[in-house]
Amino acid sequence: MRARGFASFTAAVLFAGAVLWSLATTDVELRRLVSSGPRIADFLGRMFPPDPTVMEEIVSGSAETLRIAILGTLGAVLLSVPLGLLASETMSPPAVYRPVRILLALIRAIPLILVAMLMVGAVGLGPLPGIIAVAFHATGMLAKFYSEAIDGVARAPIAALESAGAGPLARLRYAIWPQMAPVVARDTIFRFELNLRESLILGVVGAGGIGFYIQTYVRSFQYDKAASVTIAVVVMVVAIEAFNGALRRRFS
Amino acid sequence: MTAAAQIDDVSFAHSGADTSALEHVSLSLPVGEIVALFGPSGAGKTTLLTLLDGRLRHWCGRVSILGASLDPDHPPLRACRADTGFVFQEFALVERSNVLRNVLNGRLGRMSPIRAFFGTPRERDLQVAKTALADCGIADLEDRRVDSLSGGQRQRVSIARCLAQEPRLILADEPVSSLDPTRAAEVLTLLTEAALVRGATVVFSSHQPDLARRFAQRIVGMRDGRVAFDLPTSELSEAAMADLYRDAAQMPAISLRVAS
Repeated sequence: MRARGFASFTAAVLFAGAVLWSLATTDVELRRLVSSGPRIADFLGRMFPPDPTVMEEIVSGSAETLRIAILGTLGAVLLSVPLGLLASETMSPPAVYRPVRILLALIRAIPLILVAMLMVGAVGLGPLPGIIAVAFHATGMLAKFYSEAIDGVARAPIAALESAGAGPLARLRYAIWPQMAPVVARDTIFRFELNLRESLILGVVGAGGIGFYIQTYVRSFQYDKAASVTIAVVVMVVAIEAFNGALRRRFS
Repeated sequence: MTAAAQIDDVSFAHSGADTSALEHVSLSLPVGEIVALFGPSGAGKTTLLTLLDGRLRHWCGRVSILGASLDPDHPPLRACRADTGFVFQEFALVERSNVLRNVLNGRLGRMSPIRAFFGTPRERDLQVAKTALADCGIADLEDRRVDSLSGGQRQRVSIARCLAQEPRLILADEPVSSLDPTRAAEVLTLLTEAALVRGATVVFSSHQPDLARRFAQRIVGMRDGRVAFDLPTSELSEAAMADLYRDAAQMPAISLRVAS
């Protein structure tokens, strides 16, 4: 009891210290926030009414973002199957799965936008660097999920098939896969949803999709058009979330 | 006639354990016999059955199963593994697959690796699987998913899978310990009758003396990793069986097992 009281006291002190440090060393001028109130209102005012004439750009931009997310997810799945097997305790020895897991953690640690910028530099503008960036970035998480799906299966049915004389591939197909398939389906759908959300902004760095229009309209002060694109993005995210939620419930 | 299984002076300890799971065990099992392994928890029954199934590694001694000697460091060939069928205590079925698929899994060792992987059973595989289902009284359940079945039904599926292997030696690890007495007797009846029809040798473990006496022609008593007795059922007294459970030292082990 006493130890817990001490722990929460320490946590409170650390938290207060962190806030004070941030306030003291950052140039947060509350006066500026107050004085720029009218300007913020002005910017918001210029977003209304949203300009509906950009429908064509919205549709083509959204379609491209969707294509980037689909192909990026496909690429991540193709990379995650072998890497997931290598990162699994069940299928690989420690000398293999430990370094592979470290590699996946490193991949996860690199922000998508950074990968996209590097890829734009490497392969040029357009959706291709976006697809490569999404596939690379998503693999860090998806391969880890796949390895956990493999490690989460019950061992007894595998032993039973081994006892019956089934080889390693047949054991994978009939004892391991049926157990992990629903988990893999759920994880893949979840990662697709994340890929779609994250690829919305890829256009800002020139890696294709609807983000390109957001950047163009904001930079050229066409806030009414930017507002239309923003609404389209929100609608798309909400729709895909509802759709994926319904899909995920089927794999339980 | 060669023995279904011949064990000479086998010892084995689980890695990290202080005591041996098997100590200088020697046993000979004639073809076609029904043998009960009897004894308290921790006596080494499961370890002995796992050894006979070729799934134990790093033991010492000599073992030959159906005329082929086992290598302590390598798993037996697929055909040899298919010749010995194993009925698991906790069924070890693939819960999300249907009953027929689970029983066909018992045929995987009888197919070429390519056919096994793509899972296209031959006419004969289907026929053997369906006969096994019928013998276990669950022909009507073949399309049901295993996770929708009761414990008794699952154990029948597990036995059907074992029979689908067409094993010459059937090993059953406490096959009825999770069933009520009536179901337990039913399941052991169908297991022993199916084995009799197929000319297979059966070794089942149990700590229920009445079931061991009723179904086995011979009872091997085990205690602390050793064979305490090995007698035809008719020559074995109930007192000798009860004696395996004599000291109170066994009690904590049993209660721990229940708690976990």
